[in-house]
Order: sequence, then C-alpha cells, then structure tokens
Amino acid sequence: MKKHFERPIITRLQTGMPNKIGMKTEYLPMTEIDGVGVKTMLEQYGSPLYVVSEATIRDTYREAYQSFSTRYPKVQFAWSYKTNYMDAVCRVYHSEGSWAEVVSGFEYEKALRNGVDPKYILFNGPDKTEQDLKLAIENESLIHIDHFDEFYSIIRLCEHTTKRPKVAIRVNMDTGIYPQWTRFGFNYENGEAWDALNRIMISGKIDLMGLHAHIGTYIMTANAYRIAGSKLADLAANVKKKFNKTVSYIDFGGGFASKNTLKGAYLPGSDTTPSFDEYADAITSSIINSQIAPEDMPTIVLETGRALVDDAGYIAGTVLANKRQPDASRTLIIDVGVNLLFTSFWYDHKITPAQEFSHHSEQTKIYGPLCMNIDVIREYADLPPLKKGDHFVISRIGAYNMTQWMQFITYRPKIVMIDTKGQTHVIRENENIDIMTQLERVPEHLK
Amino acid sequence: MNFRSKQLKEFFLLVWSGTNRSYGQIFFSQKKYFSLILLLVSFIDPYAGIAGFLSALIANMVALLFGYSKENIKSGAYGFNALLVGLGLGVYFELSFALLFLLAISAIFSLLLSVSLEGFLYKYGLPFLTWPFLIVIWLLNVAYVDFTALGLSQRGLYVLNELYDRGGMSFVDMYYQWQALFEGKFWATYFLSLGAIFFQYNVIAGLVISIGLLAYSRIAFSLSIYGFLVAYLFYQMIGSDLSQAGYMYIGFNFILTAIALGGFFVIPSKTSYVWLLWLIPLTVIITISFSRIMAVFNLSVYALPFNLMVPLFLYALKRRGSYRSNLNMVGVQEYSPEKNLYSFVTYAKRFTKINSYIPIQLPFFGQWKVNQAHNGAYTHQGEWQHAWDFVVVETNGREFRGHGHSLSDYLCYNKPVLACADGVVEDIIDGIADNALGEVDLVHNWGNTIIIRHAPGLYSKLSHLKLNSFKVVKGEWVRSGQTIAACGNSGRSPYPHLHFQLQQQPFVGGKTLRYPLAQYYVNRDGVDDWCQFEYPQLNEVVSRPIADSLLVEVFKWVIGTRFKWSAPNRPTELWEVKISPSNQTYLECKKTESKAYYQIIENRLTFLSFVGDKSTLLYQFYLSLQEVPLFFFEGMKVNTPVRPNEIYGGAQLFFQDFLAPFYLILRPQFKWSVKSSDNGFSKTEIRFTSRIESRLGKVMHKSELLINTKGLSNFTYTTKQLTTTYTLQ
Repeated sequence: MKKHFERPIITRLQTGMPNKIGMKTEYLPMTEIDGVGVKTMLEQYGSPLYVVSEATIRDTYREAYQSFSTRYPKVQFAWSYKTNYMDAVCRVYHSEGSWAEVVSGFEYEKALRNGVDPKYILFNGPDKTEQDLKLAIENESLIHIDHFDEFYSIIRLCEHTTKRPKVAIRVNMDTGIYPQWTRFGFNYENGEAWDALNRIMISGKIDLMGLHAHIGTYIMTANAYRIAGSKLADLAANVKKKFNKTVSYIDFGGGFASKNTLKGAYLPGSDTTPSFDEYADAITSSIINSQIAPEDMPTIVLETGRALVDDAGYIAGTVLANKRQPDASRTLIIDVGVNLLFTSFWYDHKITPAQEFSHHSEQTKIYGPLCMNIDVIREYADLPPLKKGDHFVISRIGAYNMTQWMQFITYRPKIVMIDTKGQTHVIRENENIDIMTQLERVPEHLK
Repeated sequence: MNFRSKQLKEFFLLVWSGTNRSYGQIFFSQKKYFSLILLLVSFIDPYAGIAGFLSALIANMVALLFGYSKENIKSGAYGFNALLVGLGLGVYFELSFALLFLLAISAIFSLLLSVSLEGFLYKYGLPFLTWPFLIVIWLLNVAYVDFTALGLSQRGLYVLNELYDRGGMSFVDMYYQWQALFEGKFWATYFLSLGAIFFQYNVIAGLVISIGLLAYSRIAFSLSIYGFLVAYLFYQMIGSDLSQAGYMYIGFNFILTAIALGGFFVIPSKTSYVWLLWLIPLTVIITISFSRIMAVFNLSVYALPFNLMVPLFLYALKRRGSYRSNLNMVGVQEYSPEKNLYSFVTYAKRFTKINSYIPIQLPFFGQWKVNQAHNGAYTHQGEWQHAWDFVVVETNGREFRGHGHSLSDYLCYNKPVLACADGVVEDIIDGIADNALGEVDLVHNWGNTIIIRHAPGLYSKLSHLKLNSFKVVKGEWVRSGQTIAACGNSGRSPYPHLHFQLQQQPFVGGKTLRYPLAQYYVNRDGVDDWCQFEYPQLNEVVSRPIADSLLVEVFKWVIGTRFKWSAPNRPTELWEVKISPSNQTYLECKKTESKAYYQIIENRLTFLSFVGDKSTLLYQFYLSLQEVPLFFFEGMKVNTPVRPNEIYGGAQLFFQDFLAPFYLILRPQFKWSVKSSDNGFSKTEIRFTSRIESRLGKVMHKSELLINTKGLSNFTYTTKQLTTTYTLQ
C-alpha cells in the first residue's frame, strides 16, 4: 500500500514534568461509517456530504426507550421534527413507535405526509395560525397551548366545529437551572399555569389531555427534570382534586444533552452529559413519588430530539487548503462551512481525519469555505497535519444542522442514509441552479 | 286496597310455587312441569293425592307466615317433607275431619323439623333430605294404634276391590294385564319402586314418573335405572329377590341414592358411576339389616337407607380438604345434574387457577429476559429449583451497553424492582455491597434481599438487590406494582440480575415453591403473546400487562347504574347493575328479571352465569362477554371454553346429556379479540369482537361491542344469520 505523505512539523521539545495535556494524539482515523468507506461515499456523492446512520438512530432510540420503559409502565416518545425533519429520518422514528412533535404548520404537514395519524401529533410552539388550529382541532391532534391568546382562539374556533379540541398547556417554571425559559407557556410559580388550567376546565368546551414543560436545552443536570416532574404532577393532582379530571399525559419536552462538547467546557461532553438512565430515573421517580394516585398514573411523553439524533449524523468533507497565519499559527480551510454546520457556533465539534495519520499533531484553526470572516468551524483543534484533498469526518451533527442550515453562497450538498444492512440511499439531493432559481421571478422589464 | 291485593297475590303465588315445587324437590328438581307431572301422578290415589297436596300447602303457608326465606319457600325446600307425610297419611287413613287436623299438625311438625335440621346441618354443608318425613311418619306409625277415631284405610291392601269400585271389571282386567306384563320382571319392580316414592304402588305411576324424570334430566334418568339395576343384580347375587313385594316399597332408596351420589350432589362422572357399584350394594345391606331392626317396632325403613347413605358419603367427601380427584362435589347447585356437570367441567378450566392462586405479577417494569428459569443450569436446582433470574437485554441480546466494564453499563442495574402482589414486608437484608463484575460474594449468598408475605404460607423473595436501594421498611404494607428497591449485584451474582422466587417460609434461603404468574406478556420476535397462570421459560422476554384505563373505566359498573338499549323495530331493554346479599354482582333485565352474574378480578371481567329468559338482549350480552381482559395489545386473543348447554339445545344436547358423564362431544369455545382501537394514551374507543365456535370451528354466535369514553355504545350480535345492533341511550 502506498504510504500516506504527511508534511513534517516542528515541535518544541519539553523536558521535565510531562504536561497535563499529554504527549501525543491517540485516536484512530475514521475511514468508514457503519462499514461504508468515507472516501468511496465522497467520490460517489460529492464533497461535502451529510451521512445519517439508520442503525445509530434505532439503537439510540431503543436505548432511550428502554431506559424509561424499564422504569415506568406508560412511556411515549414523540419525534421532535425541528431537530431533523428529513422525511427518511422521521420515518425511522415513526417505525420505532415514536409519534410526532411539531411546532409549525409546515412541520404539521410534513408529519401528515409521513403517515402519522393526526391523533398522534403534538402541536407545540407559540406560532399556530387560526388555520393550523382549525386543522388540528378537526384532526383531533393534541394542541399544546402556549399563551392565553391561543386559548381564546381555540375557544372561538369551538363555535364552528362539533369536535372538542384536545389540549395540553405548556408550563414554564423554576427548576433551579439557568437560564429559566419563561417565554414559552404559562408560569408555574406565579399561578398563571393554574389559572390557565382553571379556565380550560371551566370553559367546558375543550378536553384537557396533558401538561407540558420544556425546561430548556442542553440540560446538564437530571435533577432539573425531577423538579419539573414534581411541579407538573402537583398541577395534575390538583386538577384531579378540583375537577375530578385525570390528566392523561405529562410531556417533559426535550432538552436532554447530547455527547457534544459545548464551547468553553473544561471536560468533553461524552464525560459530563447525563445518560438516558439518569434522566429517566429523575423523570419517572418524580411522577411515581408524586401525589398522583397509582390508578391515575399519566403516560410520560418525551420530545427528545438532540440526544436521540445527534450521534447518528456526520458530515464528511475535504481539505481545501493549508495556511499559516502571520502569528505563525496553523489554519486549515475545509469545504464545510457554518452554513452547513450551524451547531459549530456552540459546539467544539469532533473532527477526525478519514485517512491514516501519524501520532504527531498540531494546534490548528479550522475555517469553512465561505467568503465571510465568521466562518470558523473550530477555533483550535489538535489535528495531525492534513493536506489539500485529504478527507475528514465531523461527528455528532445529526441534530439541527439539517434544519437550521443555510443556503448561502453555495449549494447545499446531498444527504445519504446508511441503512441497517450497509446500503447507502440519497435522502436529499444536492441543490443546483435550477432548484435555486425555481422560486425566483424576474419582472418583465428586466428580462 | 290495591297494595293489599298485590300482597295477597304475591302470597298465593309463593305458596303455589312452593307447593308445586315440593313435588319436584323429591327428585332434586326445580322444574315446574316435572313437579306438575308428579302432582298429577300423586292423584292416581286421589285420597293420598289430596292429603299430600294439603299437607304441602299448609307447610308452605305456615313457612311464609313465619317469615322464612322466600327463596327457599319458592323452591319447595320446606314443603316436600310435609308432602311425603301427607301422602303417607292419605294412604293409611280414611279421609275425615280428624285426619285433616292430624295433617295440619304433622305438616307443621315436618316444617319445623325441616327448618331446624337445615340450620343444624348447614354448618356441615349437608342436605336434610327426607329426615323430617322419617321422624314424623315413624312417630305417627308408633302412635296410630291410639288413633281410634281415624279409620284405617284398607285401600292399599285390597287393590282389586278398589279398582272395581272405581272402574268396574275393565279396570281389574287391565290391572291383571299390566301385572302379567311386568310380573317379576326388572322393569315392573323399577316402575313400582318409582311410584312408591309417592306412595303410589302401581306401574303406571312409575312409568309416568320415569318419563318426567327423563324430561327433567337425562343423567338422573339413566342413574335411576343404573342404580336400580346394580341393586337388582346385587339382590340376585346374595340370593334374594328385589322384585318381591316387601322390597318394592323400599326400592326407591337405590334410585334416589344413585341420583344423589351419582350426579346431584356429586359431579356425574365415570368415577361417580363406578363408586355406585360399591355404594348401592352397601345401601342394600343397610336396607336389609335396618328392615329387620325396625320390624321389631313394626316400622318400615321407608327412605332411611337413602337418608343414611347420602350424608355419610357426602361428609366423607368433604373431609378431603382441598384434595382434588375425579370425584368432585357440586359447588353451586343448579338443580340439574347436567348443568352441574357442564358448569364444573367448563369452570374448572376457566376459574380453578384464578380462584386458587393469589395473583402474582412480574416484579418489574418493561421487558426483561429470563436468563435462568426453573431447574436452571446454574443455581436453580434442588430446593431452589423454582426460581427465576431476570436481566434486561438490548435488541442484539447483550445485557450491557458500552464496554460492559462497570455495573452501570448493565441495563438491569439500578432498575426499579416492584412488589409482585399485595403484602407485608416480612424481612429486609441490606448492607451488602454490590460486587465488582465477575466477582461473587459467597458469604452473603443471596445479597440484599426482601421477603414479602402475601398470604400465610406464600412469600416472595427478591435477591441480589442494590445496596441501600430499599424504598420500604420491614413491616410495611406494599401494593402490587409498588417500587420497593432497585436491581443490583450483591451476593452470589457475578453480573447484575434479579432473582425472583416464591416460597412457603418467611426465611432467606427458603425452599422455592412452584407457583404460576397470573398474567404476563411474552415477546417473540417483536410480537407479543400473553400467558395466564403459567411459568416464564428460559430466554423468554416477558413484561407485566398494564390495565387499559378506558376498559377499566367503562366496566367499572357502579351498583344502580342503568343501561337502556334500543334497536330499530325492537323493544328497548333496561338493565340495572345490582349486587346480591352474598356479594355477587349482576346485571338484571328489568322486564324479565333475568340476571347475568359477573365478576371483575385482577383486570379480568368474566360473566359467570345466567338465570332467566334467554330471549333477552341481556343473554346475548352475557354470551358475548364471557371473558374480557381489561388489558390488551394489538392482536391479542382470548380463548376459553363455554358450557355446551349455553349454546346447544334440542336433540344434540339431549344425546350429549346421556354421554356427558363419560365424554363431551360438544365443546364450544369462546373467542375474544380487539378489532380496532385508537392506540395510545388517549384511547377514546375500542371495538372488540367475540365468537362462540363449535369444536369444528363453526361459528354459533358472533358479536361486536363498541365502547368509548362515555361507556358502552353499540352492541351487535349475530345468531342464525340474523344480525341485530343495539345502541345504548
């Protein structure tokens, strides 16, 4: 086999005590994903390339589900569409038994297209148009009310339908973490949530099905969920007490951290984020130990997105150039920019070369290909020397990147999915000039 | 006025019903028409007939005035002894005012004896049979010498004179022809013996009675012939002759004993028939010897042998405790040997387990795998053979995630462990550290352990629990499904797992007890199956069923709830949920007063029995909900036997009745499954179907019930290609 060339680097020899960072880089190149060669895929589908592993999705889902199902009798996951709404990805979750959690009319339509029974769509978010609400009521979807104006709209819409809207309210609260997400839903501490529940029950026109909280994102302590659970359970127990109404479900939203490392974190995310078991233990025990009577135990609903899908996504790409800055630091320009890797704004993504390398490494700054100063993928990464044309894989990018990406300066690449048998399937084609200009209209006088 | 006349009407109806049924009671029947036949037969000797009738009437009227149980009066239970006394008096004495007075006295005396004996024998669970009659008639027999005002009747003695009186020579001729036809033969003796029960010493009475008996019960009829035949042959064997005049009057003892012990108080079976081969000759011996003893006092034995033999054998059977054999006693008396048999055979399959086992459930949430079952390869041997070890596995069968180098990598580690049934925490052993992987603690073999007492002699033990994970304390009352600790790795446990066993003693390390689990799901290749009162096997992935809240809600019938069903072109039917003084819950059809008894135990709704009008919608409903579990998964099926008499009739059932003690040809099966439901936590409607199929799969009865959040909604049933849909209003 032809030996891989690696340019020489000069490192100052330090004698005495070894430093705490250690001596050398000890990790393996990522030449394949789920047994499919990275180079082969890049050659076949072009660079850069998003890769989604179906096996990882299923495995992670099952792990999460099992963590809950072995602790609590009634558990239901609802796939958070905004985290990754590629049809193929959603369908994998639905095939595992997950329902759909959507936050817009567009996502609602998508869920319907993916064959989700509308009764199993949870409609969240502050932006639901009258049209959306009407459809959701007719379809008997579960509407999570965010604010009183939405409640009034629903009451108004009741006059025009024979259906009874099925609703939950979103509750925000102090769970001992910062920041406290108070902008969504009704506050627990100041009594707004209880007020909302009273109004719903007294209205007599809508069915209260559940309670919903989404305490924040990237929650690094499972205990916050325990506090949320006990507060929601209190509400449920009070509803039962006052109105003799059993709350069917308690939705804990999402917010589970993935194994990515947040910028500025001292330790890697894989060592610090709580496991599914820890979250599950906090959540289930908060309900089991609550005031809710055993025969009224609600279903626990989870809208976990990030923690379920992050590990299943990769982006593979190619080195465009090496550069040395005036301050002598090394920089690397790759063909993956922040337009494709939105999450690089808050994560130190793990980048692994896709070919053999030596144990020598160098502090490197990684820039994307955009002609924009902010296009930085990593401020500093300890990487072996890479040369133009070398490949790399950025891991744990399954969450949000395929939804929050931007079409900017250039086209967005293909997304492929590797199925459980090792076959690759394009699940989204790359853009081209026709696609990009399809919606554009040129006024007559400019033609 | 209106109220009074209504009361009077009720009074006379009760007295009539009691009087009429007194006749059937002698053959253990409550059938009205059979009683009527017997009543008519008793009038073949009109004086005896009148005396008997009056006596029964008096006894029932007095019983009602005394305020005894209306149910018992209605069934004739307090009248039949008086009836027999009356018949006897009518035969012995000429009809006169004095006799009428004597009748009244003796009728009331029989009633008092009946009630007292009933109360006395109740605690032994024995029937009082015709003991009151025996006591009264013997007393009168001894005393009658002084009854000079009463003319002794000579009717029984001079039959020909009697016949000539009533029908002239033709009656006498006929009598001779009949006599010739039956003289000294088995059948003649048989019919005469049957007639003798009603003090009617002639063949015609016996013939009519036997036809009535056949109509009442095929098993009782065949037992009467069988029992009599055994006695007849035994008499021949010992060199005596049953057909001789003296014995004819007591031949009925063998008939009644055969019916009572072969099929009425005992479930008719091959074994009960075989037992009669021994019991009837014994009755013969009792008859012969007591006849001689009683002769000293100039008394006849009447039904004494029957009255001795039946309680003797029944009591002996009862003393067996919980021992089960092929010879079983009737639990709930349905006053028909075939009904008793069909119920027994069917209910033995349906309810024996649920009634005899305390429901034990799996002690965890979610799906766990059995990694050592009963008689396991590692440690479940010898005294500890009936235990289970459970672990959690991921899809590819591994018990851990990650490297599996630490306890927390193991999927079952630190998972909640639940109480398997209600009970009291008997003992807790805590303070033993969880082992490192691969190590075992042979000093504290069982590790951290909890023992829960569910019943005297039934304890569950969970072992190898996590250090300091107990959520309950010793002496605490725990509910089934309550979290009590967490799965760990203490004791002789090289990797985390849960040890679960049932035992008879409250000690750690007690001998295991083979005891089935009430209900559990088994997952085979992603498809669930369910088991009732079975034992999880090695490598099975099992989970605990969770009751469906909609089903639980809908079938939580509160006493007093009313259901009004209507269908186009059909009369509406109104039901009410009621409860009997003996705590049996039932639905009652208001119009026909038909009752469908049901019970809900351990998330199972079962309809037990039906009394009343089978043309009602209630009966269709009863057939359709024979067995409804209040939990289900997609595709779950229930299969359970129903009684043949529930669904078959006519000639088919007639022949089956004869064969029933030996073989069941008709074995209908009830099948239940969920047709559709909106899945998930907010189930709002469930549609389920039921079928009753013959052995060969022919659908005899089909139904569909729709329930929603408001309760029962639509009920559709199909019998004989006719489909009717009722809607609840």
